[in-house]
Amino acid sequence: MTTVAYLYLGALLFAAGALGTVIRRSAAARLVGIELMFAGATLTFVAASAGFHELDGQVAALLIIGVAGAQGLVGYSLIATLARSE
Amino acid sequence: MSVEQGVFALAGAVCVVGSVVAVAHRDPRIAGAALLLTLLALGALYATLAAPLVAALVLLVTLIAVVPLVVHLTVPAPRRHAADGGPAHAGAALLVAAALLGLALWAIAAGELPLNVSLRSTDGYDLGGLYALAAGRMGVAALTVGATVVAAVATMRSARRRP
Repeated sequence: MTTVAYLYLGALLFAAGALGTVIRRSAAARLVGIELMFAGATLTFVAASAGFHELDGQVAALLIIGVAGAQGLVGYSLIATLARSE
Repeated sequence: MSVEQGVFALAGAVCVVGSVVAVAHRDPRIAGAALLLTLLALGALYATLAAPLVAALVLLVTLIAVVPLVVHLTVPAPRRHAADGGPAHAGAALLVAAALLGLALWAIAAGELPLNVSLRSTDGYDLGGLYALAAGRMGVAALTVGATVVAAVATMRSARRRP
């Protein structure tokens, strides 16, 4: 496989996430969209890292995954608090 | 078709379909399941890209952070949204997506993206190099992300404590 195939897939994931974030109105659906955008960016970094035979992209991907996990935790807390206050 | 191509075809198809279902489906349980499927397929893709550490971390984050979120997707969200300009937003999103695709095509045409690079790593997985990067040139970013994760965990704990 070439790097470009992975880059296209990352762009598709990012576009789907952006579309969902903009179009959907519920907080949970927007969180899903943001997770997909993070996933697209991560795939792009890892593919570029493999394509250029450098490790920088993998380190950046690890950092992005950390941020995505933090975002998931905060989103989980927000939705749980919202649900409790209902 | 090689094994790598087969895995890419399968996981890529799952990713594309799963992401579309995750953002488009009205049923939160189906959308959440599609998101989980997408993230798991991404783990397989990372493995084919010779990045097993990234794949393992994705699986870990999926299990620890995303699964609880998906479970709570089944909780009905408050319906206090004003009437929105849906078509305008959709048009803007399509425009952004088209611009991103155009940028990728331009970069390929300009020769900025390699088209024929094999992704099979013959050098092995350099964990020492990863650590050196994370502790050196990207140390500030790693510290910032660590602080962010700690803050997120603290937020979650305080949200649980509130009556």
